[in-house]
Amino acid sequence: MAEENARERQAPPAVGEQSEPLATVERGPVSQFLADNGFDHQYLGKDAAGVELLEVERDFLLPLCTALYAYGFNYLECQCGYDLGAGQPLVSLYHLIKLSDGADRPQEVRLQVKLPRHDPRLPSVYWIWKSADWQERETYDMYGIVFEGHPNLKRILMPEDWIGWPLRKDYITPDFYELQDAY
Amino acid sequence: MPMPMIETRTDRMLLNFGPHHPSMHGVLRLLVTLDGENIVDCEPVIGYLHRGMEKIAENRTVVQYLPYVSRWDYGAGMFNEAITVNAVEKLAGISVPKRASYLRVIMLELTRITNHLLWFGPFLADLGAQTPFLYAMREREWILDLFEAVTGMRLINNNYFRVGGVAVDLPYGWTEKCLDFCEYFLPKVDEYERLVTDNPIFRRRLEGVGAISKQDAINWGLSGPMLRACGVNWDLRKVDHYECYDDFDWEVAVYPEGDCLARYRVRMKEMRESCKIVQQAVKALPGGPFENLEAKRMLEGPKSEWNKGDYQFISKKPSANFKIPKGEAYVRVESAKGELGIYIVGDDNVCPWRWKIRPPGFVNLQVLPQLIRGMKVADMIAILGSIDIIMGEVDR
Repeated sequence: MAEENARERQAPPAVGEQSEPLATVERGPVSQFLADNGFDHQYLGKDAAGVELLEVERDFLLPLCTALYAYGFNYLECQCGYDLGAGQPLVSLYHLIKLSDGADRPQEVRLQVKLPRHDPRLPSVYWIWKSADWQERETYDMYGIVFEGHPNLKRILMPEDWIGWPLRKDYITPDFYELQDAY
Repeated sequence: MPMPMIETRTDRMLLNFGPHHPSMHGVLRLLVTLDGENIVDCEPVIGYLHRGMEKIAENRTVVQYLPYVSRWDYGAGMFNEAITVNAVEKLAGISVPKRASYLRVIMLELTRITNHLLWFGPFLADLGAQTPFLYAMREREWILDLFEAVTGMRLINNNYFRVGGVAVDLPYGWTEKCLDFCEYFLPKVDEYERLVTDNPIFRRRLEGVGAISKQDAINWGLSGPMLRACGVNWDLRKVDHYECYDDFDWEVAVYPEGDCLARYRVRMKEMRESCKIVQQAVKALPGGPFENLEAKRMLEGPKSEWNKGDYQFISKKPSANFKIPKGEAYVRVESAKGELGIYIVGDDNVCPWRWKIRPPGFVNLQVLPQLIRGMKVADMIAILGSIDIIMGEVDR
């Protein structure tokens, strides 16, 4: 049993690392634009649908998002979080698209920010894309990721006195629940 | 000329709408701050129908999870099934036979019509007109019967979509019934419009109410009829070219005003366009109606072209322990309420590592406080109705 645990520790689940960048990988256009203008990020390749994946340090998230907004990414389609595994970092991700009249397969990009589990804080993008409002609240609710500067960061789907972050991989579902007062 | 008003001073009142109020759509709760009849502020409280659909998905195979998904948006269940199988297909690179794609489009567009009918009736009831509700239910019944004939279920739990196609082919005589319905339904939409659209009470309650600018709509992430009613020509069926929507002649419904009336107009036009798509798809169905396809198969034997390739309703049936490959993708469809997206992370396992649902209702609803600030209480119900939410998908 102890051996098994040790082996598990040595080989943590490698979800999300399938697109490990190669030295020879050519950057996509969005990544190239950001690199040309001095916005520091890591290019992670493309996903199954051919969308560019960028990894960003949390300190550079806001300037980089502002640049992308100015570049034409006016629509935050999806903000969500996910967990790379127990003991692994949490991820906050942003799927952006250029929305316009009569668009035909417009450019898309997905940013992800890796956050240490013991201190999952990053700036909110609410002030750039208002659609982050409830989506960031949901990510906070489910993963405990704190979005600094969000106007109303509190639980949204779970009861407000809930303890724990239900979608984290190390969350333990309680055996019993308190009676809910109906009113 | 402004109405003469008696100056009265009252304290602000905090009023609690829902979650069990009959005119509230589902279990939505609105904490409204009122100054007399004027709304000062509003805070939506949601989560009463939260079942942890994303958590459940992490412990289910695709086959196990498919029957669950029509409980997200239970007003239009098939869109949820469509996006569930699309997510896996995108990640695993599975193609769909032409016939299956047509069958999907027919089902999705019929679902869009049921959704808009289910929106139309209660929306008019919110505004005080009870009769159209009965009309809408009457037409919806036809479609539910058509669903029942194909899938065995009427409203939700159709469980019709499969990875790689659909569960079964159409039953005998279904296409004729479907065309009959389209022929019957198009004049009925005209009838609704004659009854409702130019009604002065209806117009006064909706025109200019709940308006939002194009810029704000994009910034708030609105999608579907909410976005198209702001004059943005954005329909994922045209943008992404998914399934076989390119094969049909249809228009995107766009109206520029951005108010409740524009949303009504968008949905009415979408019903007509959906009906047109269904008609074209049924007529152009590869292999023709099921009975004809069967006849051709029998005539030319099991190895003929009629028994393979594009004339099948599913390419290959996935096994119960189908593994979702490693990788990630964000897929989306234009559901009746807007953009329904799934962000999926696969881990070479039968269960997905992460299954994020991006429901249209959840993102559309967050703009509600912006729309109703400064309006009257009666307008609040009209604006809420015009957003078209189902709490099952808002809370998941």
